[in-house]
Amino acid sequence: MDTIIKVEGLVKKYGDFTAVDGISFEVRQGETFGILGPNGAGKTTTLEMIEGLKSISGGAITLDGHDVHKETRLVKSLIGVQLQASSFFDGLNLKELLDTFASLYGRKVDALKLLKDVELEDKWKSMVKELSGGQKQRLSIAVALVNDPKVLFLDEPTTGLDPQARRHLWDLINGIKRTGKTVVLTTHYMEEAEVLCDRIAIMDHAKVIALDTPLGLLKHGDIGSTIEFHVDRKCPLEHYEKLPSVMKASDEDHVVRLLSSDPEKTLPALFGHEAVCDVKIFNLQLRQATLEDVFLKLTGRSLRE
Amino acid sequence: MSNTTFTLTASAFKMFVRNKQSLFFALFMPLMIMVIFGFIGFDKMSATKLGIVSPEPTPATQTFIDQFKNAPNISLSFGTEQEMRDALLRNDLAAVFVIPDNLIPTPSPSSAMPETQTVTVLENVGQLQQAKIAETIMSQILDKTTIAMVQAPQFFELKTEEVSVRSTKYIDFLIPGILGLSLMQMAVFGVAFVFADYKEKGILKRLLATPMKPFQFVSSQVITRLVIALAQSAILIAVAILLLHTHVYGSWFLIGLIAILGSVMFLGLGFAISGVANNVDSVPAIANVIVFPMMFLGGTFFPTDGMPNWLQSVVHYLPLQFLTHSLREVMANGASFVAVRYDLVWMGVWAVVLVGLAMFTFRFEEKKI
Repeated sequence: MDTIIKVEGLVKKYGDFTAVDGISFEVRQGETFGILGPNGAGKTTTLEMIEGLKSISGGAITLDGHDVHKETRLVKSLIGVQLQASSFFDGLNLKELLDTFASLYGRKVDALKLLKDVELEDKWKSMVKELSGGQKQRLSIAVALVNDPKVLFLDEPTTGLDPQARRHLWDLINGIKRTGKTVVLTTHYMEEAEVLCDRIAIMDHAKVIALDTPLGLLKHGDIGSTIEFHVDRKCPLEHYEKLPSVMKASDEDHVVRLLSSDPEKTLPALFGHEAVCDVKIFNLQLRQATLEDVFLKLTGRSLRE
Repeated sequence: MSNTTFTLTASAFKMFVRNKQSLFFALFMPLMIMVIFGFIGFDKMSATKLGIVSPEPTPATQTFIDQFKNAPNISLSFGTEQEMRDALLRNDLAAVFVIPDNLIPTPSPSSAMPETQTVTVLENVGQLQQAKIAETIMSQILDKTTIAMVQAPQFFELKTEEVSVRSTKYIDFLIPGILGLSLMQMAVFGVAFVFADYKEKGILKRLLATPMKPFQFVSSQVITRLVIALAQSAILIAVAILLLHTHVYGSWFLIGLIAILGSVMFLGLGFAISGVANNVDSVPAIANVIVFPMMFLGGTFFPTDGMPNWLQSVVHYLPLQFLTHSLREVMANGASFVAVRYDLVWMGVWAVVLVGLAMFTFRFEEKKI
């Protein structure tokens, strides 16, 4: 796949404070790329430098072959941007708002079609202040699409939304993904990154500390999954510890917990062990490691701290 | 005008018209002030009030007193000396004339010279100017009466010819003042609030994420405000003519030009204020510190001639002063372009200063660090 965004040694300084500290990554054409990290990690600053909204203190960014620093206006015409907590003019209805934004690109758009794409077509006469939080976010995605951009940037698109509105927005973003657009988003919800992103860069303290597919991050994170089950009679813990890929075993009354680095290998062996030890296993649960666990392992802190 | 600027201007116009706050400042407030002040009728209030004490005047004295009733802009009240003195103390009267009942003797065949009669004037020191005018009128009438009585030939005659055919009523003074004031309010508040709001809500930043040039956006907003300034002037003047019967003697084109120049000046101030303000809430505080004193010192509601000299020399250079003065000269006196050139040049100077200040303080883009 072709590279559409190339970030090399990107630095942003505010006086003595370094907000982004020499990060590098590439975004491929058509993928959804997520920047995951806690508040203050430098996600938004990174995004706004790529969008040409913030000046660059060091390093270089190219987007679709154009230097963002030198050809800022051209790059801006190729991208669509949703800013964090974006807000729009009062006093224009949604259709007028989209027409106005289209004119900023020297374009004309079918505003109603765009509103239909974000399921706001019956709201076209409404003013922005009459919309709910989720509807506002959907509107700001529609506004970001007025120029049929090559890359769509979403800065924390679901922050502050209720779970239902969040899922609704995820469906919408997945729909945009399917049209072949490249999407770059920031989030501090690991679930969101897992659901939406093809690849994820984890940022912390102005640096990218890991970059992989969600699965790759989990696998190489070397964290393991928890297998939990009930047994009808006790069986020595050493038996469980000898099962393949088991890192740790513990039991409490008739509940056993195994920490496995690879449940696909552990589980068949565990079921084979039923006959060996004449024990019956029921209520089995597998809890997979999440990006939250990965982040915890990488930084020693939780994402929400 | 490019398609982008045109669409932006059309949108800005819609937004302005739909914004109740800006409409209030641009139209309803000035209309309200105009109508209230117009109907109060300050001209009538300025009539000089005189008291006459003459309990039982002879018919000839009564005829003499009646002459006062015909004098313009004077209202008379009658009573005992004590009543009139009380009224004087209450500041209800400017002066009281105590006129002897037999001031003018009934003509009699005996040609003996009548005794000298005394008319006492009680002056209200608080309204000394009006009292002196009344006193002058009184002595004039007395002189004429004396001449008539002694049947002396009249050697001199004062012939009055009215040179100004235009009535200069208070309303004709007020309307240009209100117009100047509303142009200032619209330009300052219509821009300062809106742009501080755009800045605070991140709308300016969102606009910067598009390939638009900031200049296009600002000019669309300025064009909108200038069109509105012209519409506003036309509406206010039309209401003043139809409802308050004011007169406009000068050129409409010149009035439009002055309105535009004045607006440019105050738009600069509006942008400068939104540049300095950190958020929307600090806009009225900053704006009113500048606008409120100017409202009263800028020759809006009353002439500044009565102010102390040092204050006059300051207020003379206020931007609003040039705007109201030139509008008044053109509207009420039919002044020509050349006659108001001094005001126009000064407005130009202020426009350069304030727009320059706006460019210095108002930042569309991120500050480069």
